Amino acid sequence: MPRLPRSEWYDLTRDMNWDLSYITEDEAFPPQLSNSFGVPAHDWWAWDEPYKITYSEYVHNQAGKDAGVYSVNNVLNRSDIWDNLEPGWRAAVIAHYGAIAVAEYQAGIGEARMARFGRAAAWRNMATFGTLDETRHGQLQTYIPYQALAKEPKFDWAHKAYHTNEWGVIAARHLFDDMFLANDAVSMAIQLTFTFETGFTNLQFLGMAADAMKAGDFDFGALISSIQTDEARHAQQGEPTIKVLTKAGKADVAQDLLDRMFWRAWKLFALLTGFSMDYYTPLENRTHSFKEFMDEFINKQFIDQFRDFGLEKPWYWDQLLNEMNWTHHAYHLGVYFWRPTVWWNPVAGVGPAEREWLEEKYPGWNASFGKYWDTMGQNVRDGHPELTLPETFPVVCNSCQLPVCTPAGYAAGYLESPLPYVVEYNGRKYTFCSEPCKWVFEMQPETFAGHLSIIDRLLSGWIQPPDIPGALAYMGLSPEECGVDGTDYDWAGPVPPATKSA
Amino acid sequence: MAPFPVQGITEGDFVVVLALVDSEQPMSEVAQAIAYHGVGKRVAAQDRPLRVRYQGDLLPDDATIETAGIAPMDVLEAVYA
Repeated sequence: MPRLPRSEWYDLTRDMNWDLSYITEDEAFPPQLSNSFGVPAHDWWAWDEPYKITYSEYVHNQAGKDAGVYSVNNVLNRSDIWDNLEPGWRAAVIAHYGAIAVAEYQAGIGEARMARFGRAAAWRNMATFGTLDETRHGQLQTYIPYQALAKEPKFDWAHKAYHTNEWGVIAARHLFDDMFLANDAVSMAIQLTFTFETGFTNLQFLGMAADAMKAGDFDFGALISSIQTDEARHAQQGEPTIKVLTKAGKADVAQDLLDRMFWRAWKLFALLTGFSMDYYTPLENRTHSFKEFMDEFINKQFIDQFRDFGLEKPWYWDQLLNEMNWTHHAYHLGVYFWRPTVWWNPVAGVGPAEREWLEEKYPGWNASFGKYWDTMGQNVRDGHPELTLPETFPVVCNSCQLPVCTPAGYAAGYLESPLPYVVEYNGRKYTFCSEPCKWVFEMQPETFAGHLSIIDRLLSGWIQPPDIPGALAYMGLSPEECGVDGTDYDWAGPVPPATKSA
Repeated sequence: MAPFPVQGITEGDFVVVLALVDSEQPMSEVAQAIAYHGVGKRVAAQDRPLRVRYQGDLLPDDATIETAGIAPMDVLEAVYA
């Protein structure tokens, strides 16, 4: 039986657009769920995805991908590969699952919103595949750690994390709710698929898969590679959305959506990917520093894409380049010092060889960040590891929800003041870690003003008793789940036997 | 006398911390209460007195939270003077 080439029937079967007559446009596409930004309905019908796929092709491809990942997992889960991985890599993987697995399900909800409220049939078709993609990613990244629970109890946090008020999870939820879970379809196409997936995670997943293979974690490498191929496809929903907005004279809308989310994504990226690349990945497996990765892949590609669409660099670009020198070093230091408050076992990653590498990649690191580790290392060697543990809390930013590390930027010579940005809004005081974080808040105060940071909750009496044990319980961390030094203080040199845990 | 939360920065430290001080404590003690969370832990101790800087000005050692007009969660710096 003769078959038509796909190109001869694809657009016809895909483009189920029609004029509404029984209900209004706003009833079918409520602005809260699908903000058109004033672009007429018919203009949206020009939306055309660059990568086309039919449902039967999709199912065939995905079945093959799933078969690959699950069979690799089935074999490797019976091996002792996990036990023999470096502690830093294990920490990175455990942190990844907790931060990402359930967020993938949430991204599926976002994609489903675009599958219903996207402004063109072609877009809704693409987003349907995106919904299935993200559901698959959520399933994979909960199934694989679940299968390995007997080897690694901390994998419980792949599912548990987003059901707690752990501080890093509060930060991730705050970002992802804004980006997709509580976002309208048009904004989401630009903020989730273009800014976050095209801008950050697509390339990050490529690098992470390669790093996993180098570190000997073939299970994780196969998983991340499989996910990345889906991301590369559904991330392309952003490009045609920007084109429609730009053609309608709404480039400023696209620019604003992009600027706000690029900064927000940067902050969480600096936390999770920053410590993973520069401190947790074993030295012999590193191919580049976090700053080099940002420079060569994220920033360069992003600028190229901005230019392709006639958009400009965000106004805070110089501040972004500035933060790339110091922010993630400060976050890593904070995560290590407040390690009982995270679900993985942070490694310091500052042994002599690592410090030499850090100094090479970040000239001046020893004089700026190394001095903190000098003091902490001396305390450990003196038999006082308790001095490397917290008795209070870091103040967190009311925008990114991450510790306010302006003093680190100042001490390292990158900021003119150690002071945070403090703003009064409707009689309440808000603290921000940077000018762009303050700007993100001030662009949408009605969206963010009601949120309480972990510190606001402490001061509001939500956390009882209002001390470290009370906060750990509030964050869902039992004593057995609290993070400890991932290498048992090996980084500090000769340590009194009593300091070691075993 | 009441516990009073401030945002504390110890000179040379990397992070802003939540510090609980007392509303009637003199600034010499407030400086110590802030620095307690940084000095000797991440920042090497110095053999110099610590003072409190607020909105760019060094406060007298005998000033208190109340007399200096400091509000909850204002930012105070513990600096070596």
